[in-house]
Amino acid sequence: MGNFTLGRYIPLDSPIHRMDPRAKISAMLVVLIAIFFPAGWIGYGIIFAVVASVIVTARLSFRYILRSMKPMMFMMVFLLVINSLVMKTGTPLFTLGSFTLYSDAILQTLYIVVRLLLMIMITTCLTATTKPLDMTLGIEDLLKPFEKIHVPSHEIAMLISIALRFIPDLIDETNRIIKAQESRGVDLKEGKFSERIMAILSLVVPLFVSAFQRAEDLANAMEARGYAPGEKRTRYKVLKMETRDHLLLAGAFLLLGTMIWLAYFR
Amino acid sequence: MAIRFEKVSHIYSDGTPYRYVALSDVDLELKEGKMTAIIGQTGSGKSTLVQHLNALLLPTAGKLTVLDKVIEAGGEHKGLKELRGKVGLVFQFPEYQLFEETVLKDIAFGPKNFGVSEQDALKQAKEAMKMVGLGKEYEERSPLELSGGQKRRVAIAGILAMDPKVLVLDEPTAGLDPAGTKSMMELFRKLNREYGKTVLIVTHDMEQVFGYCDEVVVIENGRVRTHETVREFFRDSSACKAMGVLPPDVITLKEMLIAKGFQVPEDVMDTDTLAKVIAKQVKHHG
Repeated sequence: MGNFTLGRYIPLDSPIHRMDPRAKISAMLVVLIAIFFPAGWIGYGIIFAVVASVIVTARLSFRYILRSMKPMMFMMVFLLVINSLVMKTGTPLFTLGSFTLYSDAILQTLYIVVRLLLMIMITTCLTATTKPLDMTLGIEDLLKPFEKIHVPSHEIAMLISIALRFIPDLIDETNRIIKAQESRGVDLKEGKFSERIMAILSLVVPLFVSAFQRAEDLANAMEARGYAPGEKRTRYKVLKMETRDHLLLAGAFLLLGTMIWLAYFR
Repeated sequence: MAIRFEKVSHIYSDGTPYRYVALSDVDLELKEGKMTAIIGQTGSGKSTLVQHLNALLLPTAGKLTVLDKVIEAGGEHKGLKELRGKVGLVFQFPEYQLFEETVLKDIAFGPKNFGVSEQDALKQAKEAMKMVGLGKEYEERSPLELSGGQKRRVAIAGILAMDPKVLVLDEPTAGLDPAGTKSMMELFRKLNREYGKTVLIVTHDMEQVFGYCDEVVVIENGRVRTHETVREFFRDSSACKAMGVLPPDVITLKEMLIAKGFQVPEDVMDTDTLAKVIAKQVKHHG
């Protein structure tokens, strides 16, 4: 699990890294929405160019982004298979027995793949340049207006930051339990179906037990230090929007506008 | 020959920026039937070393012989599972590996994985429970509702039920109370003396090393620094002081007495003999 790249923060120093998390999160959401307008290949080309320039400014490598695509490969192949079985429009490309492949199947899959690629690029831009803690602060602030309709913004932010905090711990724990069970003769790679079910059970149960144990310990530790959810809290780090943050937001909305224009008014 | 390391190295994440050399050129021979302590500071490579013994980790360089299995770096390895049945490895805080509905089933899980029939596995599990001192009344209880010390006994029984020739324990008494620690160490001694198992214990407690083990292996920065008998290791407190750990009380007492002018022969290492030697000298003066 060492090559777990999706959504990991990369500690570098760049203008993008220094931006306000609220601006980055909102801009990401706006651009994500922009992707879903059917603006055709020109539209995707523009979005790609914009996102690529952001990646370059953030000093991230494209290799890294491509690597975080890897987990999606299976899904893309799956999509292609489904599409080529279902799509029966466009020009037939070739026929194999009773099965005919149509051009729209390939085109549709390609559309989805490009959208996915862009989405991953954008979200990676956010997660790789924003510390998890800043991210939760940003989310908390962005959810603030919804408190009027009883959205517990602080609790949600706390939940997310705790979840993020425990990911590396749980990965370590999983590796430890795998080793312990392998020492007891568990074979995770081979074996009959029933044996493999048992093998997975021997990992999942201890993992749950220890996760609950950790949760309880953490809850006690927080309570012991006087944490009470729902109470007013001051903040150590105060976020402040600057010119470049406003520029980023303006750019994102401009992109959204362009996509809408390309899709409907051209 | 039970275990032999020949120029074994282990490097984590080789070829990445996270490269970390945990073991380098380790040469080590451990004889069958001995009880050996492996000591060293946190991060010295002890855990990496013991995980080689049942092939959870494979050497990145060098050659390793465990019982009659030869593991060479870079080779194709089959029959590693068989080795895991012969070398029982008990991890630190092993109670976190329990998962079955009942204690008996959990202990029988190991032997069943190695192809022992259901009936025989249960029989071996019952024997293992007897060895670790868990009564029949525990058989049908859930392992998750036991106390910490009892859980650890169940976990160790789970390894013993596989009937390994070599038993490797990574800090088996961490977090136990003094009484639990003592009975646990006595169990390991019994397994070594009566059942003839080769026992390896990773520990930080010099009293355990001094009181129960035959040999000491000191690991430092991924290398074997010393490998000698317990009597040699504790002839004075210098070895302990070099490692920054407290020597056993008897050794400290002996050195304090020598500093006060008593004549104590070097091979005196237990309280009773020490008392006799001192008594003689006190009478002599009186």
